[in-house]
Amino acid sequence: MEWLRIFGSRLRNFFRKRKLDGDLDAELQSHLAMLADEHVRRGMTLDEAHQAARRDFGGVEQAKESYRDQRGLPFLETLVQDVRYALRMLRKSPGFTAVVVLTLALGIGANTAIFSLMNGVLLQSLPVRNPEELVVLRYADAQAEGASEDFSYPMYQALRDKSSVFGGVLTRSGVSFNVTYSGQSELLYGELVSGNYYEVLGVRPWLGRLLSPEDDRTPGAHPVAVISFGYWQSRFASDPSIVGKKILLDGQPMTVIGVSAPGFFGTEMARDPAIRVPMMMTLNFKPVPANRMQSARHRWLTILARRKQNVTSAQAQASTDVLYHQALEEQLNALGSSVKAHDRERALSSHIQLDDGSQGFAHLRGEMQRPLLLMFCVTAMVLLVACANLANLLLARSAKRRKEVAVRLAIGAGPSRLIRQWLTESVLLGLLGGAAGILFAFWLKTGLIRFLPADFSANLKAPMDGRVMGFLVIASVFTGLLFGLAPALQISRSSVTEAMHGEAAVTASRERVFSLRNGLVFLQVALSLPLLIGAGLFLHSLRNLRGIDMGFFKENVFLANLNPSLNGYSSERIRGLYGDLLTRVRMLPGVRGASLTTSSAISGGWDQEGVRVEGYQPRQDENMSPNAAVISPGYFASLGIPFVAGRDFTDQDTGGRPKVVIVNQTFAHYFFGDANPIGKRISLNDDPKALLDMEIIGVVKDAKYVSLREKPRRHFYAPLAQEPHLFDMTLQVRTANDPQSISDLVRGQVHDLDPNLPLYATTTLEIQIDNSLTEERLLSWLSSLFAMLATLLATVGLSGVVAFSVARRTREIGVRMALGAQRRDILFLAMSQMIPAVGLGLAVGLAAAYALNHLLGSMLYDVGSTDLATFAAAGILLASVAALAAYLPARRAAQVDPLMALRYE
Amino acid sequence: MAPPRGEVLQGTLDLIVLKTLEALGPLHGYGIAQRVQQVSEDRLKLNQGTLYPALLRLVQRGWIASKWGASENNRRAKYYSLTRAGRRQLQTETESWERMAALMARLLGGAEGA
Repeated sequence: MEWLRIFGSRLRNFFRKRKLDGDLDAELQSHLAMLADEHVRRGMTLDEAHQAARRDFGGVEQAKESYRDQRGLPFLETLVQDVRYALRMLRKSPGFTAVVVLTLALGIGANTAIFSLMNGVLLQSLPVRNPEELVVLRYADAQAEGASEDFSYPMYQALRDKSSVFGGVLTRSGVSFNVTYSGQSELLYGELVSGNYYEVLGVRPWLGRLLSPEDDRTPGAHPVAVISFGYWQSRFASDPSIVGKKILLDGQPMTVIGVSAPGFFGTEMARDPAIRVPMMMTLNFKPVPANRMQSARHRWLTILARRKQNVTSAQAQASTDVLYHQALEEQLNALGSSVKAHDRERALSSHIQLDDGSQGFAHLRGEMQRPLLLMFCVTAMVLLVACANLANLLLARSAKRRKEVAVRLAIGAGPSRLIRQWLTESVLLGLLGGAAGILFAFWLKTGLIRFLPADFSANLKAPMDGRVMGFLVIASVFTGLLFGLAPALQISRSSVTEAMHGEAAVTASRERVFSLRNGLVFLQVALSLPLLIGAGLFLHSLRNLRGIDMGFFKENVFLANLNPSLNGYSSERIRGLYGDLLTRVRMLPGVRGASLTTSSAISGGWDQEGVRVEGYQPRQDENMSPNAAVISPGYFASLGIPFVAGRDFTDQDTGGRPKVVIVNQTFAHYFFGDANPIGKRISLNDDPKALLDMEIIGVVKDAKYVSLREKPRRHFYAPLAQEPHLFDMTLQVRTANDPQSISDLVRGQVHDLDPNLPLYATTTLEIQIDNSLTEERLLSWLSSLFAMLATLLATVGLSGVVAFSVARRTREIGVRMALGAQRRDILFLAMSQMIPAVGLGLAVGLAAAYALNHLLGSMLYDVGSTDLATFAAAGILLASVAALAAYLPARRAAQVDPLMALRYE
Repeated sequence: MAPPRGEVLQGTLDLIVLKTLEALGPLHGYGIAQRVQQVSEDRLKLNQGTLYPALLRLVQRGWIASKWGASENNRRAKYYSLTRAGRRQLQTETESWERMAALMARLLGGAEGA
């Protein structure tokens, strides 16, 4: 610890310099005085004595200097000196400083913005106690593409009650609540949670109390709810008296028992459920199927567990897998022969896996990881281009500062001292750029978040926290060192005599092809080209996706969801309400058609139904679950989906009449080949003995249903009038003009029918489709932005190098012109020197793009990752921009008056 | 590289200062310099200025302490005195110095004998 004390004393002394200098002066003076006294005593005169004393003592200033080195922190003192000097130099050339700071602000800001998103999405842990102990339970079998995380309630019970490796096992399931309080209704995202939910996570109440296992004992017997801090603030204006009051959830009174701690949002990033109720209340809110809590077939829960501290993850995994298999076998035995042998085997071959749960269920992470990492690489490349650019700028500047360097060398500065000074300057520039970059980062980050679908971005937390600021500082310093290194090393190699003869450099012959300057131009071109090509590929891909034939009209369609079942409506009453609503909406001005569906196109959700088809014998493991939708009459007409054969549903196809169904072309072809499907029968039950009770009355053209990239899917439609259980549906209104303008009118009609019925997720079909392209739009927008930035930097850098070189060769140009060279020759002379660097840069850039772009393959749609047209276009674009960048300064050189040029300097 | 004759080796100076303060009690820089020259009978050429960084180093290590006081001739001077840690340090350094000196003596004597 001694060094610590010495360092402490030095640090203290560093800040008490003035007082200590006085102290030292006094001490030395007293020493000299005593020495002089001694000499006087031996008989010298006063003057002689003083001189002798100084002689004996040696150099007073040297003593002071070495004393100071010992006393304070010479490193820090030099640093302060260097920083002061650097600031003075930067102030003296504000134009240069501004260009550098701006360039760095863009480069560092872009990196910081992407990093802050990575920090928010990929690195942030759940705000709970010891998040690193949490694990997410998933299972996978050999046939499945990925792991599944949905469990049945009995499986949850088995894992919770018998586990010895977990300190607690919680479960949750998302649910929509129609929340009514003081006469106002809104649809909110909430959760059904196990009683130990808050306990396992280690979350504290802000007000009242949170749910406990006592609140989760008996089905239907715990009408209590906990609300989130954010919801408490926004809906109840932070009124503490809400605790103990009742709110209506789907029309049922529930007592608010507490508010959870601020900052806690649950177990999934970018989701913030407003209300949580005990799992035992499930049947009050998710009534179907009625055996939901006992059935091992229905998997609807996700499970998060806290590992005991002394248990390794391998132990936990092994022990949980054993429990899982015990429970699985018991359940399969209980189900007996109703489970097909194939399904049984497949279930038994699955294994539990425990995934890191410190970020909760991390679905957002899975979606965003790849694009974010890709963008981080892209911004890093942009920053490298910026560094190369600035290194060139600094090289040019160092040539101008030769005189200054010469003076410093002459008065005794060593090379290391010079390098230090120059690096201090560039690191300072880096930090200034980083500081300015905060603004750009903030702007860019806000812009990026706006690209995400609204329900994500509202809850996405990507704060500019300590980690982001740390990244910013490190990136700034590193950048400063990177672009300052080459010029600093070059300057340190100059000798006094060479530096003093500044002119020698001016008349120095032509630039070497492999000079540092040209190398940096090469680097910039080689880095920019892959960025341009990548951006081109993404734009191409996005255009392809947008141009896909959807199979329906997507323009001018207003969408809104409603769910009368949450208000306790029976299916019969819902059917009546839907009918009335359609009649009313169709009479609104500007409405061309209206219909209802259970799955609107590209909404992210879809239904599948297992079916049995007349005359079709499925293989044992064949997927017999096509997509399905329940629709109202008028659906096909209002969306412009044409019939290939048969007829549409009519008002006569009601509950009492024979059941009818309409299928798409793919369905018809898959099950019936070329035979006529009209009049064939199917059943909504894949049991081979099921009664074939639905008749196919029509075939419609294929459309896109779930995603833009999907292959044609088998799909069938059933009529609303014959569907026994009705829940939420999407209202689709086709309008003559802007679909958003109809929103208030539709809302008014719904309000007239039931003021407590909220309309939610209102949007337009076009926006909904575009939202499914979030990743693609984000990537094309960002990659274009960054590619343009890199290209701009590279061309500015190139232009600067040419300008610098012709300025140095002014006299030579004058001589050449005097000897009869034409302007064209001079132009060629100035521009041709860049050909090797740019040409090589283009070649290497193309090769790098060719090698790297296969990483993009799966992100692109209908365009190869080595698409020739894109490569050629990007190459030509960059080459022409480079030519223009070289031409501008070269033309200036060619316009020089030969006489002026000869007199130059 | 051998130090020029008569120059004081670093480390040796520390030991000399500590020993001086042990023998004479609290003393100012001038007094220490005088004493060193006296004892070495002027064979050791001490640049008196170099004494001060050494004193500071010893203060920083906590081996000596400093305090302003008045000299015999009524001049203000900074007095240095040995601390307890300094006393311990003096002891260990003396021992290691003696071991080293004995070793060198044996080595050089042996070399002569061969």
